[in-house]
Amino acid sequence: MDKIICLGKNYLEHAYEMKEETPEKPVLFLKPPSVLIEPKDKGSLRLPWERGSIHHECEVVFKLYKKNIIGVGLGLDLTLRDLQKKLKEKGHPWEISKTFKNSAIVTPIKGLRDFPKDWQETPFTLRINGELRQEGRLSEARMRADEIIHYINEFFPLQDGDLVFTGTPKGVGPLHPGDLVELTYGPISHSFRLVDLG
Amino acid sequence: MAPFPIRSGWWILDRRQLSHDILNHIERLRIMHDLAREQDYSVIKKEELLTDLGETIRLLEANLRELAQ
Repeated sequence: MDKIICLGKNYLEHAYEMKEETPEKPVLFLKPPSVLIEPKDKGSLRLPWERGSIHHECEVVFKLYKKNIIGVGLGLDLTLRDLQKKLKEKGHPWEISKTFKNSAIVTPIKGLRDFPKDWQETPFTLRINGELRQEGRLSEARMRADEIIHYINEFFPLQDGDLVFTGTPKGVGPLHPGDLVELTYGPISHSFRLVDLG
Repeated sequence: MAPFPIRSGWWILDRRQLSHDILNHIERLRIMHDLAREQDYSVIKKEELLTDLGETIRLLEANLRELAQ
């Protein structure tokens, strides 16, 4: 895989909860493939807790082939929120708050035929320790699938196998060691536990 | 005489691009493998996939032979 392309502020309610200006179009940033992890179902995952508050951002993820969506999954775009806030306040780039090991979590990618035909209307959820934290539908986003591909193609040379994280709805918040993370979306139901090996 | 061939910046960049292209061909083959294994022709039709397969293998061989020169 060449790269992971991420959209920020694609859901207005998330932009409002961050109390930040809403740009005319969603913002774009990249994550390198080296931060991608597909945790085993019912497995465990270690995160760098020593680096400060880590926030979850639950997002629909596409896999591309010849600029077509050939599969869909659900992902967590993790953010070192304290670090990101400091960098934003200084007007500095904030990539390093998004590009730590295991900061792009993705479930197995399923073919579109495994989803309902109106898959962009299908709700996706993130539960932490059984509590619903985030719920959304891609149809509620500012840009839907086709528009997203058209938009990112303006700025990045798209390669086969690239992943696209499509932005997060409201409800982002901190994760903690020991949390049980459950992701559901159409045919996808995937869970894992965050651990502290420290 | 230099103890090793002096390579120009362009030579290095060309090889880097070639290597990048080869890895993209391999990634493309991996995707084709997944689609064929799952018999998933809902987005990329089988005929298109087989055409892509032939073209990708041809490019992979050509690029690998060039890299090996």
